[in-house]
Amino acid sequence: MIKNHTDSVPLPPKNADVLTTCCDYCVVACGYKIYRWPVGQKGGIKAKDNALGIDLPVGLDQGGWVSPNMHNIIKHEGKPHHVIVAPDHEIEVVNKGGNHSIRGGAIAQKCFNVEKPTRDRLQYPQIRVNGKLERISWDDAFTIFAETSQYVIKKYGTHSWAQKMFSYQYFENTYALTKFAFRNIGTIAFAFHDNPSNAPSTPGFRDVGIDNFSASYEDWYLADTLVISGTDPFETKTILWNEWIMKAIAEHRQKVIFINPRKTTGVAFAEENGGLHLQLNPGTDTILQMALARIILENGWQDSEWIKKYTNNKWETDSGFGQGTRNTDWQWRTTWGQFQTKGFEDYKKWILSQKESELNYAAEVCGVDAEDIEWAAEMMAKPNPDGSRPKTSFGVEKGNYWSNNYTNTSSFASLGILCGAGNRPGQMISRFGGHQRGGMKGGKYPVTESPEKFGGRRRKPLDLDRWVQAGKVRFAYVVGTTWTAAMCGSGELAEVFRNHITRNPNQLESTNVQHVLEVFKKRVDSGGMVMVDQDIYLRNNIGTEIADIILPAATWGECDFTRANGERRIRLYSKFYDPPGETKPDWWIVAGIARRMGFSGYDWQDSNDVFEEAGRFGRGGILNYQPLVKLAKKQGKRGHELLREFGTTGIQGPIRMQGGKLVGTKRLHDSTLKLPETGPEKETVWRQWLTKFKTHTGKANFMKSPWYLFGDFYDHIKPRDGEIWILNGRINEIWQSCFDDVERRDFIKNRFPENFIEIHPKDAEKLGVESGDYVSVASDRVPVQISGFYGRDIDDLLFKNLLKDGHIKFVSAKVKAVAMVMDVPKEGTSFMYFLNPENPANVLTPRVPDPISGNYRFKLGVGKIKKIGESPYKHSFQQMTFKSRAII
Amino acid sequence: ASSAKYAEYPHKKIVSLSELQTDTPVDFLYPNDDSTYGQCFLVKLGEKAGGGVGSNNDIVAFSSLCTHMGGLLSRSYKPAHKVAGPCPSHLTTFDLTRHGMVVAGHALESLPQIVLKIEKNDIYATGVAGLIFGGVKNPGIK
Repeated sequence: MIKNHTDSVPLPPKNADVLTTCCDYCVVACGYKIYRWPVGQKGGIKAKDNALGIDLPVGLDQGGWVSPNMHNIIKHEGKPHHVIVAPDHEIEVVNKGGNHSIRGGAIAQKCFNVEKPTRDRLQYPQIRVNGKLERISWDDAFTIFAETSQYVIKKYGTHSWAQKMFSYQYFENTYALTKFAFRNIGTIAFAFHDNPSNAPSTPGFRDVGIDNFSASYEDWYLADTLVISGTDPFETKTILWNEWIMKAIAEHRQKVIFINPRKTTGVAFAEENGGLHLQLNPGTDTILQMALARIILENGWQDSEWIKKYTNNKWETDSGFGQGTRNTDWQWRTTWGQFQTKGFEDYKKWILSQKESELNYAAEVCGVDAEDIEWAAEMMAKPNPDGSRPKTSFGVEKGNYWSNNYTNTSSFASLGILCGAGNRPGQMISRFGGHQRGGMKGGKYPVTESPEKFGGRRRKPLDLDRWVQAGKVRFAYVVGTTWTAAMCGSGELAEVFRNHITRNPNQLESTNVQHVLEVFKKRVDSGGMVMVDQDIYLRNNIGTEIADIILPAATWGECDFTRANGERRIRLYSKFYDPPGETKPDWWIVAGIARRMGFSGYDWQDSNDVFEEAGRFGRGGILNYQPLVKLAKKQGKRGHELLREFGTTGIQGPIRMQGGKLVGTKRLHDSTLKLPETGPEKETVWRQWLTKFKTHTGKANFMKSPWYLFGDFYDHIKPRDGEIWILNGRINEIWQSCFDDVERRDFIKNRFPENFIEIHPKDAEKLGVESGDYVSVASDRVPVQISGFYGRDIDDLLFKNLLKDGHIKFVSAKVKAVAMVMDVPKEGTSFMYFLNPENPANVLTPRVPDPISGNYRFKLGVGKIKKIGESPYKHSFQQMTFKSRAII
Repeated sequence: ASSAKYAEYPHKKIVSLSELQTDTPVDFLYPNDDSTYGQCFLVKLGEKAGGGVGSNNDIVAFSSLCTHMGGLLSRSYKPAHKVAGPCPSHLTTFDLTRHGMVVAGHALESLPQIVLKIEKNDIYATGVAGLIFGGVKNPGIK
């Protein structure tokens, strides 16, 4: 029987409306065009007869083809319209020529359509009465939110009021929401979607002096050697791979070194083309990076001339008002003397003195051949026979910094600057990125009020999950994240919320506002919590069973929004269809709440008003777009409208004014950037990090990465007694954290109807598991830190001492998955998709943050795998495939 | 479960069963003789496949054009895995045992499958399930 399959697609007529947007999914943010026209009309296959402006069929190996998944029916001004959302085939940046991912290419399927799987979009405010959601008005929702919040804040203090939100879903929304949380409420009980506290993702980069997003996509192309750690861009940043890295391999034989326990398509392709896979044991990156640094140092391959010019020497390290590197918001981190060096010679001495940097030791612990480590060091740093140096860039993602946050990132960035990378074309150190960059802060996180601290006055952002667990939160506002499922040890965390909310005896019996307020007050007075969840779908389990109030948000395509991508390229994401039901953009919702609570400054009429206000507050940052807002005003336009003129090309932040024109900034710390001698023009802001490193002197710091700060945790967590590593992450076809795609694209749901676990053939044989078998993946020793906000010195916060002092408990967790036996994960490791709603891999991950940075070690789950039977997919031809992801 | 849904086209003999060797693809043009968009391949996989014909249900045929951006897949069959790909352009791989489902990669649609039937000793193409890369309708359809 042949499967159901669409075999035609309508074309937009010549007079169709054409708007621009970008993909809503991965950080690369490909440019897309929207073609919209009323149902009943159609275009022809000749360029003169369609709005695409192309003759069909299109040529092979070209952009411009409209596939059935690019089409949908939407409502525009109340009337049904066709819409095609297609990669911009004329674009000359990012996804040049109209290249696209499997996610973005099908983004038209994201649009609300009652005939399609998006029909379950949230459409009205609701409140949970007797366990069942019932519709209420926006007005009642605002009243309940405002009065309950005011009651909680007055009686239990500001920090009993928590906000957990996305960090990325457009400048307008993140600005409005953080303005509310920080400027008006002033809470420390705040965290973004991917972090238990308000901590940076790569703190080691920050200490070295590198901004997370300093590189441009072209830098990844220009490198002779590209080091990719903790990700395969083929899987998660498709177009970075297709248009930049794969082309660099083809056009100038770029050598790609992958550092990753998993071998996926991009890794296999790089290996076939002169690259190298360092398939290390999970969590051992610091040791591998130190060993690479030692080989370079012992051979004298470091870029000595560059190091002399661009890194701090002994005197510079401690120079300046505020004692050098101590003068950071992480000052407690350096005052231990554990990380700071006195420059290159001191770093060299330290590296050479560490057991972890010894080649044979590192090879053994990392599970990588010593020869491969040597070869990698050679590719990174050995000068060519003519004395020239290879241009090497260093890119990192979560496999690296979410297994061991601080020392992985400090050793990675230090390895990078040893090779002369960080401040010039093709020689950069950056994150590749996960979500797009849509954060615009509307206030300052009040870190000085945090109870999470070390001896003396050294404070760090509060671990919100532990704060909730400790019963300190009485009201929680959750926006666009699952919170429970997205954090570590997520099964147990959900239990904490159930205990505070759904198991509290004070539950609603009607939607009457007075009744609701009375019950909620009783609930918080009894030690319980009230939760408001704002999202586009009802998520498992925060939406489906836990939150009291559900607020429906409008999203991509339903309001004009702005955001930047992984090379800081800022673009307008056009509204092109009516938001479903009573949904409203997040900025509108929070403005309504804030006004009801009596706060001023929320009289925005549309998203452009928010955009223009936020511009003032982003002036000092890497996404500064204020010059655009000012120029728009001068031209009698609105900020959004001027940005719209930049189309899918957009402009890279920070935006500067030069000769009366707006110019973008290709890379940060750019030693080749020439700024006009006449100084910054009009609203332009020049920060030192435009041309120099982000440190007190503008020169980079070599940082130490002492293994013992992580080693005791690692020794405890690593597999034993029949366990294997249960790694987790995104995959190409789903990627976006179960955002809205996998459950609402039929062709993706057929591919992945349930969560899966990739198992190495040798492990599978031992376990008696075949592809298509259902397996249970379980652990009875998932560590959860339940207390320990205060540590007098670092030893107090080492895992062994947290354990000794009673700050750790162990919980059990179990998920089900469909086995996929393939030579993709390293032997002794396995891999699951991380956020499947029914079986999230995160239940098995340790909820013990890195004591140095406060970030979780999301990638270090362990468990036992056991066959529980055959899945229906084992012998089906319709759903799931068990072929390897690394076939080349 | 799936419902049968595909467009029927003029039947065309592709190859005789006796000429077919396991894991050796046969190129042909279908649903018309368009030398660009009609490029297809037929292969006897040696294992049972969705939509497969023959005594072992292991003979399948697909469009040779990658549904990502039209890369040519005809030379990319991997006997060890029974897949087409990775596409030379951007590395999408399709599972030929499962109706051309994407294994890994960027295509927005499964690889269009050519519907086959066997009459006596001959294999005929009779229809196409899915839209072949490039156009808005399959070649030969007005």
